[in-house]
Amino acid sequence: MDQLINELKTQLIEALNLEDVTPEDIDAQAPLFGADGLGLDSIDALEIIMLLEKNYGIRLANAAEGKTIFTSIANIADYVAKNRKK
Amino acid sequence: MNAIVAHNVICPLGETSAIACQVIKAGRSWLEPHDWLPFPFTASLFNERQKEVLALDGYTFFEALAIRSIQEALSQKEIPLDDRTVLILSSTKGNVGDLTAESDPIPLGESAKRIARTIGLTTTPITVSNACISGVSAMILAARLIDSGQYDHAIVCGVDVQSPFIIAGFQSLKALSEEPCRPFDIERLGLNLGEAAATVIMSDSDDPNLWRVVSGATRNDAHHISSPAPKGDGALAAIQATLNGFPSADLALINAHGTATMYNDQMESVAIERAGLSHVPVNALKGCIGHTMGAAGIIETILNIKALDDGVILPTRGFDELGVSGKINVVNQLTKVDHPHAFLKIISGFGGCNAAMLLAKGVEASGPRVNTLRQPNRGPAATLSGSSVASPSLRRMDPLARLGVTTVDTLLNDNPIDPQKTAIILFNSQSSIHADRVFQRSIANEENFFPSPSAFVYTLPNIVAGEIAIRHQIHGETCFYILPEKDQALVLQIINATFADEDIDQVIGGWLEYIDARHHEADLEIYKRKS
Repeated sequence: MDQLINELKTQLIEALNLEDVTPEDIDAQAPLFGADGLGLDSIDALEIIMLLEKNYGIRLANAAEGKTIFTSIANIADYVAKNRKK
Repeated sequence: MNAIVAHNVICPLGETSAIACQVIKAGRSWLEPHDWLPFPFTASLFNERQKEVLALDGYTFFEALAIRSIQEALSQKEIPLDDRTVLILSSTKGNVGDLTAESDPIPLGESAKRIARTIGLTTTPITVSNACISGVSAMILAARLIDSGQYDHAIVCGVDVQSPFIIAGFQSLKALSEEPCRPFDIERLGLNLGEAAATVIMSDSDDPNLWRVVSGATRNDAHHISSPAPKGDGALAAIQATLNGFPSADLALINAHGTATMYNDQMESVAIERAGLSHVPVNALKGCIGHTMGAAGIIETILNIKALDDGVILPTRGFDELGVSGKINVVNQLTKVDHPHAFLKIISGFGGCNAAMLLAKGVEASGPRVNTLRQPNRGPAATLSGSSVASPSLRRMDPLARLGVTTVDTLLNDNPIDPQKTAIILFNSQSSIHADRVFQRSIANEENFFPSPSAFVYTLPNIVAGEIAIRHQIHGETCFYILPEKDQALVLQIINATFADEDIDQVIGGWLEYIDARHHEADLEIYKRKS
């Protein structure tokens, strides 16, 4: 699981162009959206959906599903582990 | 004062305004399921036979549609094609379907010039590329230019054709419905894209029997580049500035944008209720023709004019049960209306822009919004060119947006503005070519087809205006124009026209182009209203 979390951190930093952020800077339990976390928004959520499809073969039908899954890196990792197709 | 002297619609439902309107009255639609991309979708697209008939040798399909639509409109009403007549084209993506890894498509400004020359015009054409609101922006500009005496006639043509580029982009934003769209309905799932060209010829005329643009206004949410302000603040401000005391009892109709996305329809309903217009009949036509993007504002205006002239309000196909929280009166049956002489067109788009336009016949102008023009004072300037542009806080922005934001930051450093009374009016010749190439790479390979939503958003050139608006909380008009080449006189003419909006006291405006790391230019100034 730790390896998957680190993998996801690296992918997120690249896909969302999180300049000056390193994997170590991201707390796997911390919220990703809103002012308390990384400050991501709805377009970032869509980009994460595309990333999960591309790297793990996971298809989310609509953006609303993402809201409950993308609360933290740890939650995404949990979801990926259970649903990955590749 | 401006008046609509002729109009044409070319969409898969028909090739004149009258035929398209008749078919929509009969309750028909061209929305069909398609399966030629890696995902299923529903859209209103010309079929192969229609494309063959409409094509013109030596022109792109985009250009052919525009030329055919304009020529049919000109056949109804002869106007002099001299230096008192201008072509205003409205398109979000032009020929982008021709973009490949090896070659760029014909730029929008160049296409506009080819179209203008073909119909016999020698004046420089203006292209509006202001996301979904382009068509209304173009008609408001035409009204301003005619009412201020800059031109006697404007040929305003909105056109967009669909391609994997655009469809995949909207798919990546999860904005598309696989089913025919259902504006304002509780079961709405998203939008359907559509293809069309639509033309209005606007002339200086006092004929009381003609429809004209009485007033129009554009306001920015300054909230988010792709999501509308939830309570419709920008849309409400645009409606209020446009009505400006015009009695709502005289409105036969509000023709909404009604894309059938969750957020747009919800936002529009709240804005309409907040404007005190809950009792006015509302319709939306995208259940018949799809979302025709740069053509939407013009085709929907024409179809409603035609229907109102026939004494009816067109139904909202796909609407059954209200699924928005704002109290609005959605019409889903063909409804008779007595003596209709005014209606309101509203529209909103990416980049946070919202526009409203009041059309009427036989009534006096309610306000001077599109009638006055004053020469502005030129204010401070900032230019950047050739050097690299980067700032760590601009994380997601594409280079065009970064260039614009960085330049405006510099400009506003020593020159405070009143953000409520400021407009952002930008120009270039290559639209969002850099962002287009980046997004194209994400869909170039069918085996590796993963369209990037954040890359797609920046393929609308006006997103940079939205970014600037958010950063500085600017709530006035925002618009992006494409010209064949840098033309400072035309830039000034259009910026001047913006001051016809009496709520605007300053314009951040000028040339903003980003082609690649070595070819870019920002030449922006603050223009102030002359007191």
